[in-house]
Amino acid sequence: MPASERQPVNETSPAPLPGRWGRSRRDWAISLWVAFLAACGGTFLLFALLDPEVLSEAWVLGWQTDLRLTYGFGFALMYGVALVAARLTAFMISTGPRDGHAQGRGRRQPPVVRDPGELNPDLRGEEWR
Amino acid sequence: MSDVSGGRNSLYEKEPKIYPREVSGRYDRLRKIAVFVLLGLYYLLPWIDIEGRQAVLFDLPARRFYVLWLDFWPQDFIYLALLLICAGLSLFFFTALAGRLWCGYACPQTVWTEVFLWMERWVEGDRNKQIKLDKAPWTTQKLLKKGTKQFLWVTFALWTGFTFVGFFTPIKELGASVLALSLGRWELFWGLFYSLATYGNAGILRSQVCKYMCPYARFQSAMFDKDTLIIAYDEERGEPRGGRKKSDDPLKLNLGDCVSCTLCVQVCPTGIDIRDGLQYECIACAACIDVCDQVMDKMGYERGLIRYTSEHALKGEKSQVLRPRIFIYATLLTLILIGIFVSLGNKVPLRAELIRDRNMLFRELDNGLVENIYKLKLINQDDQAHRYNVSIPAYPDIGIQVFPDPVLEAGQVGEFAFTLTAPADLGAGSMVIEVLFEAVDDPDISRLSESRLLLPAD
Repeated sequence: MPASERQPVNETSPAPLPGRWGRSRRDWAISLWVAFLAACGGTFLLFALLDPEVLSEAWVLGWQTDLRLTYGFGFALMYGVALVAARLTAFMISTGPRDGHAQGRGRRQPPVVRDPGELNPDLRGEEWR
Repeated sequence: MSDVSGGRNSLYEKEPKIYPREVSGRYDRLRKIAVFVLLGLYYLLPWIDIEGRQAVLFDLPARRFYVLWLDFWPQDFIYLALLLICAGLSLFFFTALAGRLWCGYACPQTVWTEVFLWMERWVEGDRNKQIKLDKAPWTTQKLLKKGTKQFLWVTFALWTGFTFVGFFTPIKELGASVLALSLGRWELFWGLFYSLATYGNAGILRSQVCKYMCPYARFQSAMFDKDTLIIAYDEERGEPRGGRKKSDDPLKLNLGDCVSCTLCVQVCPTGIDIRDGLQYECIACAACIDVCDQVMDKMGYERGLIRYTSEHALKGEKSQVLRPRIFIYATLLTLILIGIFVSLGNKVPLRAELIRDRNMLFRELDNGLVENIYKLKLINQDDQAHRYNVSIPAYPDIGIQVFPDPVLEAGQVGEFAFTLTAPADLGAGSMVIEVLFEAVDDPDISRLSESRLLLPAD
């Protein structure tokens, strides 16, 4: 691509560069993939501990389940739960304080506090409960 | 720029400990009422008995949940799902209507933190005394005060953990086990786990939970609009702020009504200054309203410099309470609640399921009849024993055999061999049949169960 056609790379650039994903798409892709991994592990563990036949026998479900349906349902459930957790995590990180917060960057100064009576003689000597 | 010249740590500033000043007023009274009601329910409910059993008990080993007069089985998980939907909708509804009511008055984090703050004040004194004590060197007096506070906190946290486990194990038996030092491993684990969570969240973390960990604090703004009730400082009226005597004329001094006493900051449990505008750290506890109203009274000014208002109202525009989103949330909430109550009112304490024998489709008998074999599962969800009649009203010619007799004790689950014998000419292929199960002594307890009857195709 000729240099003249390239988008300028700076913070005010409005359009994403071709082939590059925005924050939201990256978050979704990561969430989907991580949730898939977690669901695979979770499903493996779940059905290692729980016989799918037992689900029907124990009468938790109101219908007789096919074995493959139970495995599929178990995976979908795990995937759903993991995806919700992953999306919530991505949301909390993206809406949380920026890097350097703990060092004081981007944080407003703590509010000034003074004795109520310092500037207001009529407020002196009160307990303010 | 200090960041460049001084390096990464030059801007470091330790998060100051927040010492919220005690406040009283109408919103503080409301919050106290909420604390007593909610914690009263939490701590007392397990000790109340209804119909000879604990009023609220989640009996996991027996897989039964008792909530007041209701008895839930695993098959009733739809009610749990509906209840969660209702909780979510209620949160949307009340947030859209009145902002962060949940955070200010009902959230467990707020409620338990409030109690921990009370205990801290009883032992260490008011805000100024607490600051002074923390700055003072370690003396016997300080050790005694800090030790007493920790003792109260830990005891209260342990009692909270004990009560939590009491919702899952009959609390009187649990109490006897604690006294006899024979607590089960899992009971001990969950009791200590919940105690630690209470102590950590309400005693140590406090507002950090709301600021950094709570998802609701982050997404509640999506439910806000310009008519939602918020707690706001009336900048137009308050600025320019500044100290003055009561007898001074603010107009002559070119001052607004804010006397710059900073009490609104001192009472804030999250340590923010509401005069900086709406902030996500604000949990809408309204402590700043209470204290500011007191200051306004003292100065002889009109109350409400900080008040519950909406963005529209603050700008002098008309604020609408009844808005489309309020109607939608309220309608959905009402419909689901009605559905739950109607469904609970018509709940039949009997469940029946017919499962076909997987090994054989059907068997043709010598006498010209066709036999289908099923496994019948019956569950008696009533609190008394019943014998059940089984019939197929639409096909009286079909013979029914149930072995052994379908008699179940209260709360018993039974499995039975269930055989149907039908004339071969009743139909061809697969037929849908409805089997009626009916308690002999109570015709109101009846349930229809659908299954398939297989017959020769030709």
